[in-house]
Formats: sequence, structure tokens, C-alpha cells
Amino acid sequence: MRGGTTIETVRRPRAGLLGALPALLGLLLAPAARAQDVVHRWAPNPPASSYGERFDHLFALITMLIGVSFAIVLVLLVVPVIRDRARPGHKASFDHGSSLHDKRFTAIVSVVVFVVLDAWVLWVTMKDLREGYWNIPRPDVPDVLRVELLAQQWSWNFRTPGSDGQFGTADDIVTLNELTVPQDRPVVINESSKDVIHSLYVPDMRVKRDANPGSINELWFQPVKSGDFQILCAELCGYAHYQMQGKLHVLPQEQYDAWQTEASRIALAAWDENDAEARWAWEFKE
Amino acid sequence: MTRLLLNSGAALALLAAVAGLLAPGDEAAQDEHAAPASPAAGPHARAPHAVPLTITQPDQLLAWVKDIERRAADEPDRFSQQDEVWVDARGEFTWDEENEVYWQAVPADLLTRGRQDFVQFCASCHGLQGDGYGRSAQGLRPPPRSFLRSTFKFTKVPGDFLPNDDALVALVQHGLDGTPMLPWAVSKERLREIVQYIKSLSPPEEGWHDGTNVIGNEIYTPDDPWAGREDEAVAEGEKAYHVNQCWSCHPAYVPVAELNSLRGVDAATTYDAKLTYGKLKTDSSYEVQGYAVAIPAPDFTWHTLRYSRDARETFQTIAAGIAGAGMPTWGRTSPEGKGSVPDETIWAIAHYVRHLVDTYHGKTAERAAFMAGVRAEP
Repeated sequence: MRGGTTIETVRRPRAGLLGALPALLGLLLAPAARAQDVVHRWAPNPPASSYGERFDHLFALITMLIGVSFAIVLVLLVVPVIRDRARPGHKASFDHGSSLHDKRFTAIVSVVVFVVLDAWVLWVTMKDLREGYWNIPRPDVPDVLRVELLAQQWSWNFRTPGSDGQFGTADDIVTLNELTVPQDRPVVINESSKDVIHSLYVPDMRVKRDANPGSINELWFQPVKSGDFQILCAELCGYAHYQMQGKLHVLPQEQYDAWQTEASRIALAAWDENDAEARWAWEFKE
Repeated sequence: MTRLLLNSGAALALLAAVAGLLAPGDEAAQDEHAAPASPAAGPHARAPHAVPLTITQPDQLLAWVKDIERRAADEPDRFSQQDEVWVDARGEFTWDEENEVYWQAVPADLLTRGRQDFVQFCASCHGLQGDGYGRSAQGLRPPPRSFLRSTFKFTKVPGDFLPNDDALVALVQHGLDGTPMLPWAVSKERLREIVQYIKSLSPPEEGWHDGTNVIGNEIYTPDDPWAGREDEAVAEGEKAYHVNQCWSCHPAYVPVAELNSLRGVDAATTYDAKLTYGKLKTDSSYEVQGYAVAIPAPDFTWHTLRYSRDARETFQTIAAGIAGAGMPTWGRTSPEGKGSVPDETIWAIAHYVRHLVDTYHGKTAERAAFMAGVRAEP
């Protein structure tokens, strides 16, 4: 709508760029009238894990900072282009910036920005990440749910211990592409890969970490909502990477207990003691 | 000068690569196909041969029986009939008077393309040699199919026959639910080439190389006689499921008293506790590296069914049976034939199985309540 009315005002042929700006702005702002729709469509699902809110706050903060920087840089770029453009009585100037003065200026700015400013920002950021964001303490409870995850082209093999709490025993629950966990209990996952690098990504839990062949990575999350959530592979891992999807079932504790009892029972009944290869568990890394 | 150096370097690298590809010998093969560590590796765990990426041997002969008519119908310009024998203008298909089969000479370049796609898509699980021990196959239960035998489980072709090309292509496109076998979004043409390559791996005596082995059609699938009366079908299916032998491998889904009355046996008959819960066929065996792997008959309220997304697929799986597993062919192989169980009953059981899946699969609380009722002591 706004675009339509502004275009009518663009009559002077040489005011093309300036005239187009409001039109462009109109196009950008038009969807804002239905901002809620837009947010609903583009925003991630609300977080379903204990630290999800913190993650989202950090994300919003960074987006805001980058947005402000973007606006400043945009103004610095666009204003000279308009101010110094060719027009009657004014010739557009053009400069390679190769004079000694320019080179000195560039060198000094580079040193100040890249060495002093960036190094300082990097140092502070890493410090904050290490001490704050990456170091959200896992709730110190004894009954975390331990899960071993062996990724492969193009599936997730999950292994949860049965009631004995031990991996590699007859009542282990081994599932493909489906992980069932209880609500409100921290879930600690040891992940590795059989073949190439995969990456376990549960968007609703705001958690993502690579599964590398030959090493074990740990990640944890604490689901605070029950329901079914998407599991995705976030590392291009070959032809069918896009099909490497799974489901996370979060059940209330009592339902989970019933599920675990039944799953263990079925696992025990199907236990084949000759089949050593199917017992691919490793010693859990806390 | 620099460009010249670069060019000659690239040419050398290319030569080395080609030489590496063509070089025969077991060393390369063994490196390539390093086995996952297994304490029970049997003598036949590794296939002795290694197939290079480019197949240069003369045309491989594969037998054809069933689908020459379909091919002739597809390409009427190519095939003509003389004395009741189809003649291929291109000479790819020839009639073998003595064995009464059509032979197909699959060109080496087609097999090469199939091999290359096989390496890209299939080898991570099925192995570079097609033996089912790929890098990602370790510990997978059920294990990936070995193509060094010619048994395929879910082709909808009755177990006594070799599956036809269309059935194999359809299987790959469908995928097997609950396993890493995905529904492959690869063009039908490329899948056909992969299938030809897979067929060329079959053993001399039981696969496609032997013209006396008959290639089967998809199991005869009549229209659903219960359409519009699904509730009736479920009730009838429940009865048939327990009157017939389904419950002896799969779990029984009625209390013991009802099972006895349905079977018409003494009301005091008791069963192994495992029975109502699910007698798992730990002897149903698929051989992996020299020992048998248990593949339990699925509990429809718990496991994910491989090839039964709707009642029709379920009918076909029951009717055709599962080759290499304990599930026999229950339906009729041709419209004229006679199955062990009437089509109408199989359809009813298919509806019942779908009902169990739709009502209880993945629904923890509902399933727990249902199974508690089934297992309740009288």
C-alpha cells in the first residue's frame, strides 16, 4: 500500500535513488503491519528445555547488537553515495585511495580496529562464553538420564540403560531414530559416530553438538515440557543427510517409568547372547 | 611455465588415480573393506572378490522369465513375436530354448553406472562388496541385507520366487520403516541400474545367473472386500488372528481364556508367560558373520512395521510372506491359485493389524492399559 503511494511521487527522473528509498522502506515495513504473523512464521518454537530461555535471550541480544551495527554501517555507506553523487554543478569524485596519506590512514585504522578493538572484544567474549554461556551448570542431581548415541549414515542409534543403569547389558533399550526421555530430568548424551561427522540437533531444546567418529562428545539438556520434538542432523553427512531425522518423545516421569519397564522387558526377551556385535556400548563419560 | 607444471601435475594425479582404481589385488580390497571388529567372524565373513568401480568384464548374463511381456508392451517397436517367442531387435534379450527362459545381457557400462551409484548410496551399510558389512552396518539389528545371497524380505513377491526388477525398485523407493533403509529419492532409471548391479552379485546357483530360478510376480492382491465395513473387518480379523497361527509367533492380544475359546481348546490350557506377551522367535535367524541373529516377530502395538503403512501393504506383506524369516506365504500367488488362508481373511487380519498399530503404537498410556488387560490373570 505505502509503496504504491510513494511511487506516484517519484516524478523527477534524476531523483531515482532518493525517490526509490521510501518505496523500498515501504516494502520492508509492509509486513510489519502483521508482525505477529511474521514472528509466528519465522521465529523458532518456544524453548522446551531449562536453559532454552537463556539461549533465546542471548540470541535476541546478539541480533539486536548486529542490527544496530548494520544500521550504522548502512548509513555510513549510503549517505556518501547520495551526498557525493553526480548532479548538475557537481561531479562525482572517485578515488583509488592510493595516496600515502590514505595508506597511512588505512593502516592506523586497521591496527586500531583489528588489533586493539577486535582482540579486546574477542577476549571478553570468550571469557563470557567460557564462564557463562557454555558453562550453564548441570543440575547436581544423581538421577540424570544417561544416553549413548551412535550416529551413522543416515540414522541415529540411541542406547538407554535399563533399570540396572549399566550400558552394554541385556536390558539396554536400543532404539533407532527415536529417543524417549522423562520430563524435568536432565538428559546427558554421549555421542559418537560410526562413519562421518554428524551433529545432533534438537531445536526445541536449543541444543546442538557434533558427533565425531573416534571420539565421544557430551551434551545435556533438561526438558521442561512433554511432547514430541524434532531431532535433526546439523552437519552435512552425505546424500541422505536431509532424511536423517528423528523424534524426541518427552514423557511425564510416571509414563516414562512405565515405558522404560516395558521397553526393557521387550529388550530382555529379544536378547541374543551370541550377538556380541549388537552390544556396541562404551563406558559412559560423565 | 607454472600452468604447464600444474597441468602435468594434474595429469599425473589422474593417471595415478586411474591406476589405483584398476589395480587388482587383495591388499587394496582388504584396506577398503576393513571389517568391523567382531569376535565371531566366520569363514565367509568376507567375500573374496573385489569389484573395481569400473566394470570391464564382458556382458553379464542375467536370467529373465516373467517380465518380458511387460517390456515388450512398453517398447512395441523393439520386440516382435515369432513362433510365440519374443525377439529383441537390439539383441539384449534372447530366448534360451533348452532352459525355456529369456536371458538378458546387461552391458558392462550399465553395470558400471549401477556400481558407481551403489558405492555412493548403498555401500555405507550394504558394504562395498554388497555383503551387508558396510562401515555403518556395525551392530545394526536387523542387519543390512547381504546381496551375496538372493533373499529379499519385503518385495511382495512370494518367497519361493526371485523378486522382479519392479519389485526391487519399488522396495528401494518405499524404504523399510524403523530401519536405516530410507525411502530413496533417486530416479527410477538409476535405481534400475543399481538393481541390475545388485542382481549381478547373486550367487551362481540361487540367483539371477541361473535361468531355472523363476522370477515371481507381485502377490495377487484383490480389492479390499471389507471396504466401508472396517469395524467388522477388525472384529473378524481379531478372531482370525487368534484362530490361525498368528499369535504363536506374534503376541496374542486377547486374554488367555478368550484365546482358548477362540482356538476351541480346553479352557484350562495355559501358556508360557512369554506367549501372551510375545513369543519371540529367537531361533529365527539371519546369519551375520557366522552366527545367527535373532529377529523377533514384531509386536504390532510396539514395534515399527517395515512395510505396512496401510491395510493394502499389510495385506501384501501377510499374503506374500517374508522370505528368509519365519513368515510363510499365506496368500495365493496367482488369481487361479489357492492360498493357505482365504484372501478375505487375510484382508480382515490386515485391518486388525492396522487397528492395533493405529490405536496403540507410540501411545504409551493406552498401550499399557490394553496390554495389562490382555495379560491379566484369570
